[in-house]
Amino acid sequence: MISAQNVTKIFTGRGITVRAVDNVSVEVASGEVVVIIGPSGSGKSTFLRCINGLELFNSGHIFIDKVDLAHKKTNLNHIRAEVGMVFQQFNLFPHKTVLENLTLAQMRVRKRSKAVAIEKGRQLLKKVGISEKADEYPSRLSGGQQQRVAIARALAMDPKIMLFDEPTSALDPEMVGEVLDVMKQLAREGMTMVVVTHEMGFAREVADRVIFMDEGKVVEVGTPEHFFTNPREERAKLFLKQVL
Amino acid sequence: MNATQNTWPWKVLLAVILIGMAAAIYGSVKKIDYEWRWYRVPQYFVYQGEEVHKIPFDGRITAVVANGDVSTVTMTSESDEVKTVTVDTKTIKVSEGEDLFVGDTVGFTATWHLGPLVKGLWTTMWLSAISSVLALAIGLCTGLARISKNYTVNMLAAIYVEIIRGTPLLVQIFIAYFFIGTVFNLSRNVAGVGALALFAGAYVAEIVRAGIQSIPRGQMEAARSLGMTMPQAMMDIVLPQAFKRILPPLSGQFISLIKDSSLVSVIAITDLTKSGREIITSTFATFEVWLVVAAMYLLVTSLLSQLVFYMERRLAISD
Ligand SMILES: Nc1ncnc2c1ncn2[C@@H]1O[C@H](COP(=O)(O)OP(=O)(O)OP(=O)(O)O)[C@@H](O)[C@H]1O
Ligand SMILES: [Mg+2]
Repeated sequence: MISAQNVTKIFTGRGITVRAVDNVSVEVASGEVVVIIGPSGSGKSTFLRCINGLELFNSGHIFIDKVDLAHKKTNLNHIRAEVGMVFQQFNLFPHKTVLENLTLAQMRVRKRSKAVAIEKGRQLLKKVGISEKADEYPSRLSGGQQQRVAIARALAMDPKIMLFDEPTSALDPEMVGEVLDVMKQLAREGMTMVVVTHEMGFAREVADRVIFMDEGKVVEVGTPEHFFTNPREERAKLFLKQVL
Repeated sequence: MNATQNTWPWKVLLAVILIGMAAAIYGSVKKIDYEWRWYRVPQYFVYQGEEVHKIPFDGRITAVVANGDVSTVTMTSESDEVKTVTVDTKTIKVSEGEDLFVGDTVGFTATWHLGPLVKGLWTTMWLSAISSVLALAIGLCTGLARISKNYTVNMLAAIYVEIIRGTPLLVQIFIAYFFIGTVFNLSRNVAGVGALALFAGAYVAEIVRAGIQSIPRGQMEAARSLGMTMPQAMMDIVLPQAFKRILPPLSGQFISLIKDSSLVSVIAITDLTKSGREIITSTFATFEVWLVVAAMYLLVTSLLSQLVFYMERRLAISD
């Protein structure tokens, strides 16, 4: 489903160059849940953003369903419609109601009629458990509710892949659970997911594979049992000691 | 300290200061012995003009039917052509059966005409309105060009903004009319509107640029991550949010535009200011006319402020 080969992303600015993503190769199969962990600044977000073309990488290839993002003729808008993304800061559209947040891209990108989009939107709001907030503006919602709307907004496009960039990091502790529950349900339904998170419990419970990144490189890959009980690499051990 | 402080002592102080200033002005004017002629001013808003009605042929008055203040006069020519006119009863100059020659006066009608102040205000308003719309379009395009990653587009916009902001509007109006207007054979109205629109457009561009840049990057990214194109994301997500933020500075810019439009009077466009000047040459009621002109500008600009204030409240529902 996703095949990243030797992806490198270099930021240059103010005289310094940062190899944010350094020669990363990752395969994600359909229906797989992959959790990426690693210290701050290790390039997790940047790699995730490369996968849906929000960030253009310098070299390497990323294939989404066999379509190469690095190819000049690839229409990134079409790729992005198939790859949902959930951000740390929710990024809901504050000038639109919750329901409008869910229907806008359906109508603009998927060209669905308003009635169909609303139907789909209400269905998804029910799924994430906030149908009663459909006509509120996002600013009236709690952080946990906003993030669930953001997930529903991404799902409204019927994506093949969902990317999550620290979806619970900006939330108060008591709201983390409600968002993780929605993500767990998605995983059970067979959604292909790549999740950057510091929630080790989630990784252990849901992940098929855990990828540990440091300084832009993939340092270790393994099943959750392997990774959390017996990591090979020193850096991974050190990191786990800090977060667990 | 009490949180709910009394404000009335400050209100009294404000009133005292204002009255004091008014009194000082009144006193100074008294000293120079200026004769106020306020009664002359209303006629420059509206006035009654008399229209004369004449018989168009040699003929006879066959009927005069009075109907209150107006009368209907029926005239028949020597070749039995019949014509009727309606004139004010009081001004009627003929009676039934009278023979008239072509061009003789039958009577008058009084009609109301708009005075130069109203006409000038109207000119100022449409001049500002058209310039504002154009400035908004120019400013939007230039503002978007200023945040474009394309070097050429970006620099062209930057140069335009620099030139306009670095030169006086008065000089720009002269250039627009006497140089560009002559080369391209533009009318003074086109040159005036063009100069005002280009001038305000440069400022609108900076307002638009700042407004767009004040919207968090995450908004654009969220829209793009849903597969929306750059223009779609701009139109549906970024610009509506930016619009809300730039409305106050934008309205300030348009209020400036209304005031700056007074400068087009230098290329002989009869706007409110030019009308004021023309009235003064015939009445010498200098003080009155300028005060009235100022009040009329103030009226228009404060109406605009009120409108914007209303719009801001409407847009605030999603906060
Ligand atoms: N737009 C940018 N311009 C320049 N450097 C950047 C940019 N975005 C990220 N970087 C740099 O790239 C590196 C990787 O950043 P990234 O945000 O991907 O890390 P991360 O693993 O997501 O960290 P965190 O856990 O803090 O979110 C960092 O050193 C960061 O400073
Ligand atoms: Mg990050």
